[in-house]
Amino acid sequence: MISLSDVPFRTPLATFGPMVFIGLLLVTAPWWLPAIGLYQYLGTEIAIWLIFALGFNLLFGYAGLHSFGHGAYLGIGAYAFGLWQQNVMVGLWSGLAAAILAAGIAGAIVGALISHRRGIYYALMTIAFGQVFWFSAMKLHSITGGEDGLLGIPRPALELGFASVDMRSNVALFYLAAVFLIVALVVLRRLVNSPFGRVLQAIRQNEMRARFAGYEVWHFKWAAFVISAMFAGLAGGLFSMAQQSAYPDVMSLHQSGLIVMMVLVGGGLVSFWGPIFGVLLYFVARDVLGGLTETWLLWYGLMFMGMVMLRPEGVAGMLHLLVRRVSGERSGAELAAEKVS
Amino acid sequence: MTYLLPHILNGLTLGLLFALIALGFTLIVGVMEVINLAHGSLFALGAYFALTVIGGGWFAGTEFGAWWLGLPIEHRYILALVVAPVLSAGAGMLLELCLRPTHGKAPLYGLLLTFGAALVIEEIIRLGWGTGEQNLQVPTAINGPVLIGGFIYSKYKFFAAAFSAAAIVAVWLFLERTPYGAIIKAGAHDSEMVRALGYDLSKLRLFVFGFGASLAGLAGIVMVPIWGLRPHVGIDVVIPAFLIIVIGGIGSFWGAVVAALMVGLAVGITGAYAGAWATMSMYILLILVVGLRSRGLFGRKSALEN
Repeated sequence: MISLSDVPFRTPLATFGPMVFIGLLLVTAPWWLPAIGLYQYLGTEIAIWLIFALGFNLLFGYAGLHSFGHGAYLGIGAYAFGLWQQNVMVGLWSGLAAAILAAGIAGAIVGALISHRRGIYYALMTIAFGQVFWFSAMKLHSITGGEDGLLGIPRPALELGFASVDMRSNVALFYLAAVFLIVALVVLRRLVNSPFGRVLQAIRQNEMRARFAGYEVWHFKWAAFVISAMFAGLAGGLFSMAQQSAYPDVMSLHQSGLIVMMVLVGGGLVSFWGPIFGVLLYFVARDVLGGLTETWLLWYGLMFMGMVMLRPEGVAGMLHLLVRRVSGERSGAELAAEKVS
Repeated sequence: MTYLLPHILNGLTLGLLFALIALGFTLIVGVMEVINLAHGSLFALGAYFALTVIGGGWFAGTEFGAWWLGLPIEHRYILALVVAPVLSAGAGMLLELCLRPTHGKAPLYGLLLTFGAALVIEEIIRLGWGTGEQNLQVPTAINGPVLIGGFIYSKYKFFAAAFSAAAIVAVWLFLERTPYGAIIKAGAHDSEMVRALGYDLSKLRLFVFGFGASLAGLAGIVMVPIWGLRPHVGIDVVIPAFLIIVIGGIGSFWGAVVAALMVGLAVGITGAYAGAWATMSMYILLILVVGLRSRGLFGRKSALEN
């Protein structure tokens, strides 16, 4: 099986094409989404989950740290945004900053407690902390509104200094989410190809060796956790704007597991772009299969099981191998990887 | 103290039931090196199979079904106790076959596959048995209240605790006093050596998974009259089981039992003072224990750490 590090880095120029394509798709989404029988709000939802999934993959795919409680940070971002609007002030920038900060602080505390763990113990601790946050959100009625959550969160207008854009329409919100998605894409792409990203990949491949090479491994694991929690917080803030509410359901183990499924199915272990395929596939499955049958989760679950059994490299990995096969070029790393598997 | 006593008893009962669930889990982790997130779903399946056996299932409405429902509940219940775990074991073995391609890969893949399986099983339960809350009938002999020293207890809880304790002892005897148990323990310790000695490792794994699944099914039948039966129960149950084996130390038999009793007591005693936060206590316990001893109370180094 190939991994993220076997796929050579392509210069910004080489990825210019796909970037422009994604950009065009995003800009035109409000027109073509209803045209193919879907609805406007879906675009916003997908953009938000993409931010979450891409940030998550920094931790999951690049650093190889398997967090199964990441929904908690999305939820914390959502609550922070809502509480900020309701108790402090109504404002888009300050609300989103509060969401990112709150998720980052929660991630920093949890990260400090778990970054010395490895492998399955790391996963277990993330589950435990995720459940603690979820449970607290359910039980702290006076703050979070219990199982119903915070309701009636306003969508503040976007203040740009020279102009103010009303966010109450779904189209406006979609463009806001799309802009944040592009920012997230650019930031994360820079990050994973920076020396920092290389160290994370080294940790994934062999933590012991990375430590012997002189890196303070747990600082890097902690930083990866905090950064991905902050992206989750941003997604959460946007999510509570989109839903105009924040509720504990997004923090449950179920949701945290779904994001892992999306990233893996899409091929987050193989490619930076993997989570994009995964999120799209999930939402298409939900809306298209869900329209045909009540039990779409059964089919999605079976597909996921088949994927883990037969093609754990996901959609992106399959595409990558396909392109390689068509163009007939085989890299040394890939050959080595095939020999190993 | 008298205020706490019923809560402590409740906690111990819960702990024994947790131990029964965690035993199957820890066996599978030990031999297979797979964290089986579908364990709770096998637990739920066991309970639903029992529901079908007791209620006549697919024969309801036919002559045979009428005759079957005419039998005393005790007979039907005992048959359910035998048949349902066997069916769970079948489901477990099927899952083991699905897990084969993930052998030798990172433990993450086993975890992910069983997570997918948990989703699938939950949906199958929704399809087959409906989404609502159901009731598992129990024999009248073990149902109803009992008065001890001025307190009213449910008879069923005593039955459940005694049954779990007996099952735990039986599993321990099986593992410690029979040659099969010796092979399983050896498989957990060093599977390569077991293979080198001429035992068929894939059969061993199939058997252990089936055995663990049947324990889960058994726990399901005994536990759901207390917890209630809904399709979602699998996820509710797998988390405590999971916390328990981590607190106890992965792969340790007595570690699992001790940790289960600790978790049960923690939940019971927290419940006495702050009912809403009872479930939270087990997460706090996990974070405390694992924060102090990274491999749990009785844990040794395991292959899952890489």
